[in-house]
Amino acid sequence: MAYSFYPGCSMEATGKAYGVSFEAINKALGLEAKDIPDWNCCGATVVANVIGDFPQQAITARNLALAEKNGAGDILVGCSSCFMNLAWVNERFKTEPEFAQKCNEALSAAGLQYNGTLRVRHLLDVLVNDIGLDEIKARTIKPLEGLKVACYSGCQTVRGVRRPDFDDVERPKVLGQIVEAMGATAVPFTHAARCCGGSQQFTNVNMIYDLTGDVLEAAHQAGADVIVTPCPMCHMNCDAYQKKINQVKGRNYDMPVFFITQLMGVAFDLKVKELGFEHNIVSPQKILKRFGL
Amino acid sequence: MAKKIGVYVCTGCGIGDALDIDKVTKVAEKEYKCPVVRTHAHLCGKEGVELIKKDLEGEEGVNAVIVAGCSGRVNTDVFNFGPSVMVERVNLREHVVWCHPANDEDTDMIAEDNMRMGIVKVQKSELPEPYIEEGIVKTILVVGGGLVGLTAALEAAAAGYKVVLIEKEASLGGWVAKQYKQVALRPPYDELRENDIQDIIKQVEDNPNITVYTSAKSEGISGGPGIFEVTINQNGNTVKEKVGAIVLATGAKPYDATKLAHLGFGRFQDVVTKDQFEEMASSGKITRPSDGKEVQSVTFIQCAGSRDPEHLPYCSAECCVGSLRQALYVKEQNPDATAVIIYKDLRAAGQYEFLYKKAQSEGVVFIKGEVVGVNEAGGQVSVEAEDVVRGETVQVDSDLVVLATGMVPTTAFGEEELTVEVKEGEEAEAAAAAADTIIRSDILNLQYRQGPELPSLKYGFPDSHFICFPYESRRTGIYPAGTVRAPMDVRAAIDDAAGAALKAIQCVELTAKGAAVHPRALDFSFPEFNLSRCTQCKRCTEECPFGAINEDEKTYPLPHPTRCRRCGTCMGACPERIISFKNYSVGMIGSMLKNIEVPEEFEEKPRILVFACENDAIPALDIAGINRLEYNPWIRIIPVRCLGSLNLIWIADAMSNGFDGVMLLGCKHGDDYQCHFVKGSELAEIRLSKISETLDRLRLESERVQMRQVSIMDYDQIPKILDEFAEKLEELGPNPMKDF
Amino acid sequence: MCAFKYNPAASREVYNLESGKYAQQCMQCGLCAVTCPARHLMDYTPRQLFKMLFAGEVDKVLKANTPWLCTSCCLCTVRCPRGIPIIDVMHSLKHYHFEKGTKAPVATLSKVFFDSMMKRGRVFELGMTNAYYMKSGFGAIKDAMKMQDVGMAMMKAKRLPLAPPKKVKGLGDVKKIYDKAVALAKEGH
Ligand code: SF4
Ligand code: SF4
Ligand code: SF4
Ligand code: SF4
Ligand code: SF4
Ligand code: SF4
Repeated sequence: MAYSFYPGCSMEATGKAYGVSFEAINKALGLEAKDIPDWNCCGATVVANVIGDFPQQAITARNLALAEKNGAGDILVGCSSCFMNLAWVNERFKTEPEFAQKCNEALSAAGLQYNGTLRVRHLLDVLVNDIGLDEIKARTIKPLEGLKVACYSGCQTVRGVRRPDFDDVERPKVLGQIVEAMGATAVPFTHAARCCGGSQQFTNVNMIYDLTGDVLEAAHQAGADVIVTPCPMCHMNCDAYQKKINQVKGRNYDMPVFFITQLMGVAFDLKVKELGFEHNIVSPQKILKRFGL
Repeated sequence: MAKKIGVYVCTGCGIGDALDIDKVTKVAEKEYKCPVVRTHAHLCGKEGVELIKKDLEGEEGVNAVIVAGCSGRVNTDVFNFGPSVMVERVNLREHVVWCHPANDEDTDMIAEDNMRMGIVKVQKSELPEPYIEEGIVKTILVVGGGLVGLTAALEAAAAGYKVVLIEKEASLGGWVAKQYKQVALRPPYDELRENDIQDIIKQVEDNPNITVYTSAKSEGISGGPGIFEVTINQNGNTVKEKVGAIVLATGAKPYDATKLAHLGFGRFQDVVTKDQFEEMASSGKITRPSDGKEVQSVTFIQCAGSRDPEHLPYCSAECCVGSLRQALYVKEQNPDATAVIIYKDLRAAGQYEFLYKKAQSEGVVFIKGEVVGVNEAGGQVSVEAEDVVRGETVQVDSDLVVLATGMVPTTAFGEEELTVEVKEGEEAEAAAAAADTIIRSDILNLQYRQGPELPSLKYGFPDSHFICFPYESRRTGIYPAGTVRAPMDVRAAIDDAAGAALKAIQCVELTAKGAAVHPRALDFSFPEFNLSRCTQCKRCTEECPFGAINEDEKTYPLPHPTRCRRCGTCMGACPERIISFKNYSVGMIGSMLKNIEVPEEFEEKPRILVFACENDAIPALDIAGINRLEYNPWIRIIPVRCLGSLNLIWIADAMSNGFDGVMLLGCKHGDDYQCHFVKGSELAEIRLSKISETLDRLRLESERVQMRQVSIMDYDQIPKILDEFAEKLEELGPNPMKDF
Repeated sequence: MCAFKYNPAASREVYNLESGKYAQQCMQCGLCAVTCPARHLMDYTPRQLFKMLFAGEVDKVLKANTPWLCTSCCLCTVRCPRGIPIIDVMHSLKHYHFEKGTKAPVATLSKVFFDSMMKRGRVFELGMTNAYYMKSGFGAIKDAMKMQDVGMAMMKAKRLPLAPPKKVKGLGDVKKIYDKAVALAKEGH
């Protein structure tokens, strides 16, 4: 299996732990995910505000065209926001001929063209459908027994293409299946596909306090030991803002937040150094200790 | 031919385990001396049926079969041995072993009594012979040449029937012919389509099976199903046609807008009705009547006169979709023009959702609310409305206001009269119950004793028997369809046309066989009148719910059997008891109840007689059995065709035979009646009120006779109803006439 | 009595935006309003916004913070019984506000993000953050001070690299695609 990997800007910065641990999993599972050569930023959820949807989508489509040209395989995306942009543009290419034609016209300005031959896959989709739960189970060397996990899929992960795709748009279950395959318990978690507030940290920080605050509260109520997510934005809000939320809302959470790839690294008994835990802000130690790390 | 009765007692389905079968067979063998009495463990199986067949064909020469086992409502095909073999079903299952304790003396007694009644019923019955009129025709008359009439004509013709179509206007097409465009009947549902009524008209005109009379109306219709004779007046010339059944498709008229001054009609020139607007659109340009300028903005007011207690209390069903269509005309003429629809609820269900979305996409604006005022402002019409979504009063100014006026059935126009003259005095109540409202709309001009048009139920719509079947009316063989029957849109009206055409076809086919139509389809019995003893009291002619009985010159009842639905209401009404069916008569039921064994008082086993209507009460009792609901063991049940067939003599007989009480179980009556024969249960209740005086005179408490309304869904109430009645009777003590 | 006057024609400009036309299909069921996680911070729910458009209240729509608080979580979009891509409508409204010179903070952020992206083809998060505060003026900087602890923690966890990412080789191509796409978008949708 080989994939064209789209890392996205955050895997090298705010989501560093994701980038590092993904690499470890990539190797361990033999995903053969190689970066799309010379990929560019997809514009996240904000660039359309300045230039409109179509130009942003055309810029995003450059990545699709490059991946198709490179011929390495389906596009694999880890960041949910990037996934939403790439997968949605891809969907439009496949279902709206007029859009495809117009977008190709824009791409042709750079001598590029996209024929819509690829699929854009979220990491969770690939893990559960290509790798498979049995394989994940088989790979698990340290079963995460007794670990109670709030599986926070995030909104754009499951609704990136808007229509139900690889998971339920309201009550996702894939992440829970992966976590359980590794021996942990996925606690019933009401906020699995709720919004964390996204990128409103600078612009409306109260939204982060409210929305991420709700997510943390729900995880806490569910009796979770740890929150696990595949989304850099969810991760940052739950992890980096946890202390602030404790201050503002008078709470007392001490809830480590892992990327799914980090948790897999633990279960697969990979080198803990390679899992990027130094980038976690809420200390992961109490969890790691339970598994002798 | 002499009857030779074979009695077959089934011991399957738990019957054999619960009953002392010997007692049951003994009734047939010893008490009634039936020549053939057999038991079988599974009568409905192949072997069981063979057993019966052998006796029918073999030397036993059985020609009347009594199957004692399951309800007569099941296995009807299994126990059907052709038209020459009388079959009676004695219920031992649903009404006995499934609702009473097993191996109990009282349960056995019910089974024995049911057996007695079954045998007596067969003894008193004869095989009905079909009533077949001479010269039956199967031609179908369609009254009204609009979309529904045309469609019904084409449907009937396509099925191979000749059709006579009459239309009062000079040309066909009706209301739809005046439409600019039509809604889509198949995908894409969001597009309007060109009006294709001219194609349909052409198909009708070219169809050799269809005879069209335009500028024509019915001057008189005599006869009945299969033998209607229609006098058609076409431009002053009279033509006679013989037809077998009639589809009434005369449609509706728009509500009179002059009554809608509060919505600006008549006050401002630029307030028009939807039909006036349609005409403008058809003519090519939508303009303001006041100055002839092309409109830039149009506001549609929905429910104009509909859903309004002051005007039409009902929803006219078509106008929401009509306004969607018309708003699209505005956009078609000028995409920049504004169209606003002010509505209470947008009733555009099903595929019309696509049209609704389309109108929105074209920029039509929808305001949910109630119009509170219409005024003029700066050369425009200004509509004020309570916008319930905004929660405030809003104003919409536009060049033109269109009122989405509702529809009134064509049958609603004319003098109202009652089918029965209600005089003061003793009989007034019965007469009032029997009376139907007839509006002299001058459409059919039936030569029926009960009046010239279809009786109406509410708002002038002919009563279409919705409980049992749409398109049914209170006149057998006449089927209203389309907007004359109920408010509806074009799609529904087209379905209606096909449905009514099929009902008409069923009617002519059944009539040709001499059989009844719905709800006793394929019943070959019909009422016979022993007129030599008739006192001309007119009860039968007045009370027949279907107007089946006319009067002859000497004012004797003149039955029209093909109009008859075989309900027996006339039989119940006749004080001389001279109306009877071959297999259903006053005497027959009287004998059945007299053959029930009523124990003497000291045995302390009371008896309660229940007359249960076959349409709902009997099924409810069956379902109670299926659900193993237990009830009082003193009950004995006699099924009747309709409570309307209840003759008071039965109650007198029951009382003098020592029954402690009588209960009637029949369908709901009133405006939303469920009675399959319209008024049977109501008439029974009124007859009952009369007997209470008689009972009082006999010093019998009138509570001993009661009536309850039950529907098939009330099966779970059955035990309660019966047990409470039994308790009440216990309080009253035994019938003092018991031991006489 | 001077009742509120409907003026649907006034909203035509908005309906002509890239995804503006979809707003017309709203049937005011209110599902988006109860769905939106940010509704408690919004001046108007999406439903109210669309109703205002029906009535022609474009000025109010322009002032509303609603689109700017939309996080693109897509929940309303998957739930809307009319299938309205509400998130796209929000994008179009934001773009519209932006062109009209809005001062909404997210607009400023979007602009610095876009600039950062067009400079290297990828976003330099720290640089972009700084640029945002520079642009937003004193108030925003004051807010930023309050958030210093979060920023410091991020720095310490090495999640805000000080050096920008490598420039994309095909940056010229990105620009060409952008220019062409903008031109095509202007031609109409
Ligand atoms: S269904 Fe009727 S005939 Fe058949 S075994 Fe049961 S009781 Fe007998
Ligand atoms: S169809 Fe619509 S406009 Fe007509 S009466 Fe019914 S609700 Fe009112
Ligand atoms: S049986 Fe019923 S329908 Fe027939 S004539 Fe008697 S009352 Fe009328
Ligand atoms: S009810 Fe009986 S007595 Fe009276 S008119 Fe009819 S047939 Fe004659
Ligand atoms: S959910 Fe859709 S239809 Fe309902 S109010 Fe919101 S936008 Fe309108
Ligand atoms: S996409 Fe935007 S408007 Fe819709 S629910 Fe999410 S935040 Fe609210």
